[in-house]
Amino acid sequence: MRLHLADYLIIIVYFIFVIGVGFLIKRKIKSSNDFLTSNRSIPLWITSLAFISANLGAQEVIGMVASGAKYGIMTVHFYWVGAIFAMVFLGVFMMPFYYGSRARSVPEYLSLRFDEKTRGLNAISFAVMTVFSSGISLYALAKLMETILHWDFDISIWASAGIVMIYTFLGGLTSAVYNEVLQFFLIVLGLSPLVIIALQDAGGWENIKAHLQPELTHAWKYMGNANDNPMGLHFMSLIFGLGFVMSFGYWCTDFLVVQRAMIAKNMGDAQRTPIIAAIPKMMMPLIVVLPGVIAIALMQPALQSKGYRIPVAANGELDYTMTLPSLIAHYYPSGILGVGITALIASFMSGMAGNVTAFNSVFTFDIYQSYFVKNRSDRHYLLVGKFVTIAGVLISIVTAYIAKSFNNINDFLQLVFGFVNGPLFATFLLGMFWKRTTGHGAFWGLVGGTVGAALTHGLTIAEGKGGWIAPLYTIKSGMGQAFIVAGVSWIVNFTTTIIVSLCTKPKPDAELKGLVYSLTAKPTYHQKKWYMRVVPLGIILLVITILLNIIFF
Amino acid sequence: MADAHPVNNNTLFMYNKLNDLRFVIGLFFSVVSLILILSVLLGSSTAGKLNMYTGVGFLIFGVLMMFLRKQHSAENK
Repeated sequence: MRLHLADYLIIIVYFIFVIGVGFLIKRKIKSSNDFLTSNRSIPLWITSLAFISANLGAQEVIGMVASGAKYGIMTVHFYWVGAIFAMVFLGVFMMPFYYGSRARSVPEYLSLRFDEKTRGLNAISFAVMTVFSSGISLYALAKLMETILHWDFDISIWASAGIVMIYTFLGGLTSAVYNEVLQFFLIVLGLSPLVIIALQDAGGWENIKAHLQPELTHAWKYMGNANDNPMGLHFMSLIFGLGFVMSFGYWCTDFLVVQRAMIAKNMGDAQRTPIIAAIPKMMMPLIVVLPGVIAIALMQPALQSKGYRIPVAANGELDYTMTLPSLIAHYYPSGILGVGITALIASFMSGMAGNVTAFNSVFTFDIYQSYFVKNRSDRHYLLVGKFVTIAGVLISIVTAYIAKSFNNINDFLQLVFGFVNGPLFATFLLGMFWKRTTGHGAFWGLVGGTVGAALTHGLTIAEGKGGWIAPLYTIKSGMGQAFIVAGVSWIVNFTTTIIVSLCTKPKPDAELKGLVYSLTAKPTYHQKKWYMRVVPLGIILLVITILLNIIFF
Repeated sequence: MADAHPVNNNTLFMYNKLNDLRFVIGLFFSVVSLILILSVLLGSSTAGKLNMYTGVGFLIFGVLMMFLRKQHSAENK
């Protein structure tokens, strides 16, 4: 793939705009709250698009296209089972506690609801995970640019990290959020022509269905038996593992996405943020799953005359992660090629900036201010927030170089993230809806859930992974193993939290007002027009999601 | 007073405009659309049709975003 002047111009214009946004926002930054929480002043349309864009990182875009090519239309489960229901639940039931408690972060909510040790555990694990995720994202960007454009690995790392650092340092969270919206439009509009021309080239959806194996074009039909579908999953493990544990654990408790709703102007907008975000999320498979399905269809004998092939890896197997870059290289001429490459760069930067801004909020408020230096001036915490932004980017760069030297570290970190994230939703569910839950219960539940996840992974084996204690049970696919590990960790956390809570003393009701469902007044101040209310909006979204599942059954 | 500081007022006007995200997004896509359209018109692109269609699409989107910003500020006034 070779870029020309027009392509480079588009990339340069994009860099100028994202840095320019940082300079524009800089004037508004007067306090630590402006820098780290946007002072709860961001309009609904921006919070909603930033909410979805924070999740639209490169792993999402490139990974979902790869998954579409490998598993077919079943990949839509990550959206229509693994996202929409949780986003609606977050908007309707959980945002009133996050926003109404005036907490500045998810760990701060845990400190208000439970105690400092629960907050500390969550804050430290989240801070470590986000900054390492950011580094892995950076490594993936540099590796991709090296492979497809032959750009120098070091220059890619330092240039992209430097640009993210400039605009997050200047404008903090607001700057990151504004750029996420720009990146959202760039990704969607930049990749839409690819879907249209590739679909046309493949002869349309009906022609694709005619040439592909039926299990690649049906979402549910072959899930009655794990051996009948390409993911190797039974529908029950999909619904419980992905649809409940992993999905709710990510969308309802991960501060990276919840932070985008917490900066809305008022409670109504905070509740509507994930619900409005669910609308483009529902449509996202058109941009990130369909190209993968088209790619695998183009490789079928009847369509081989089109001349497209997914690249082959060194081991001789198809390199699915190269599906999207190879489609861009195949269909995009110079000019729009620059748009496609910029969209890829934007997705990496969006993911990295999201991680860095979430990291600096949690580090400054939940670690530094809570445990190290209390009661200093606001200016002090503003400076710390800015310093942490630089530190976060530098740690990301170091992580990227470690990932380059030790390729297995990516798998290891993803595994550890899974152990920590899996049980989280049980803590929040019990904390918000059962007032008897205690701080000790929450803390030991989280510890127990994480240990349970590690043990399950150590005792099961799938595609050569796991079984490091004893390979007692074999699972067909790695994805199925991840769902089972998450499911077990959730159950262990849930039961441990209940048992320990029943044996320890709960907080008095007076301290739990606004933090627990039964002790909180239900919001009624935005009950004007039906289409502004979260419950009717949520129900409509759920009905449409169910209909989409039926259509692609 | 307004006439006494025309440069400052112009700067402030431009700053307020740029401060609206709709305007920034609109401007970005308009600039990219111009690059795409010019690459076709100046003959430096090998596949003009796709660049032209995408460029026109981006231009419409960019102008629409800037128009929405203008309408919003008029409503606020």
